[in-house]
Amino acid sequence: MKIKFGVLVAPVVGFALATALPLLAHHSFSAQFDGSKAIRVQGTLAKIEWTNPHTYFYIDVKDEAGVVLRWGCEAGAPAALSRRGFKRGDLKLGDAVIVDGYRAKDGSRLMDARRVTLPDGRIVSGASEGDGGPQVPQVPDPAGKKQ
Amino acid sequence: MKTFFLATGALALLLSPLGALCQQNDPNSKTAKPGPTPRTADRHADLTGYWKSTRDSKFFWHIGKDLPDRNLPFTPAGEAALKHNQTATKDPESLCIIGGAPRHNVTMMPFEILQGTRKVAFLYGDGSYRLIPIDPQRKHSEDPDPAFFGEEIGRWEGDTLVIDSVGFKDEKIWIDEYANPMSDALHVVERWTRPDAEHIHVETLIDDRKFYTKSFTYSRTWITGEPDDQVREFSCSENNVDEQHLGFGPGPVRKDGTIGYEDPAPLPPPIPRSPAPKE
Repeated sequence: MKIKFGVLVAPVVGFALATALPLLAHHSFSAQFDGSKAIRVQGTLAKIEWTNPHTYFYIDVKDEAGVVLRWGCEAGAPAALSRRGFKRGDLKLGDAVIVDGYRAKDGSRLMDARRVTLPDGRIVSGASEGDGGPQVPQVPDPAGKKQ
Repeated sequence: MKTFFLATGALALLLSPLGALCQQNDPNSKTAKPGPTPRTADRHADLTGYWKSTRDSKFFWHIGKDLPDRNLPFTPAGEAALKHNQTATKDPESLCIIGGAPRHNVTMMPFEILQGTRKVAFLYGDGSYRLIPIDPQRKHSEDPDPAFFGEEIGRWEGDTLVIDSVGFKDEKIWIDEYANPMSDALHVVERWTRPDAEHIHVETLIDDRKFYTKSFTYSRTWITGEPDDQVREFSCSENNVDEQHLGFGPGPVRKDGTIGYEDPAPLPPPIPRSPAPKE
């Protein structure tokens, strides 16, 4: 269970550009999130809201002092995620989840869930499509599931 | 070092089978020779379909994209309204206020058209809709009820569906994603055509003399979705966490004029994973 800030390494393998055309942007990425603050949140799924206008994953993360902090991870609308093959049944409470994205500009423990690593190993895009946010290379699923 | 990683990644993509596929795919067309414009029983062009954005311009979010250098002809009141939008208002759509017209023609949001003889319906991915009466004899009301899409009247001019709209809300919404303003003096004339089976096009005339010294146009083309695509259920106010976290305006604008961060920090590299278990 850990959090990393400001990681400056670009992924170089397994590239597959997110070619799906954007669907619905509720607001621009840059109105809410800080593009300079990349972050990885790794922890236990404590709550999930499969709702409009965004889906939220709440992840409990234990810091170095053993204190558990809860992070909110904002993803696209349920319809957008579903079109990519990211379904509600892919996650259940207690699952170990990794979310890569960007912190909210207001300094709260809210982040944009740009890339989500699911318990079964699949890596899916959680981005709110059409928000003008950073284009994150997606990793193809070796089992061939739709992303 | 970062440049090296990016260059290596781009090279890997270009050399991969997927890269070859990406080079062949043109997001602005589906087939080399699209079929003819479909027609209704009354011989009008049939605009019915699910339409999604092409990528024919990186500035389609800007209502002035077809003007030289996107320079909008602001009045002093328009300049003040823009400044207010950028520094003191949150994106109205993020507050679950209907974007209305012309903003719904400016976003990436897909939409669906259902065309009837006396009405044409536009259904949007944010749950909003337009019902446009087709009546060449109808005139605008003397004092229309303010609406986000305005008071809309449709008519056919040959194969062109013309939608004439007045009576917009007063300064409640942005005209585009850049927070450019619109007022209750706005008059919009949309000219919708379907040049072939795969594309739909609009020429939008914007005339708002309260905020702009002269009229101007904005054009846009969309492409058909897949046969089973349709607008899905969406309830904006179900769980609108954003409202308390959003800043004012659209956020930073890059040097090239697009909305977003100039050089966002890359994410941590993906963690290697094993194939998903068989079901």
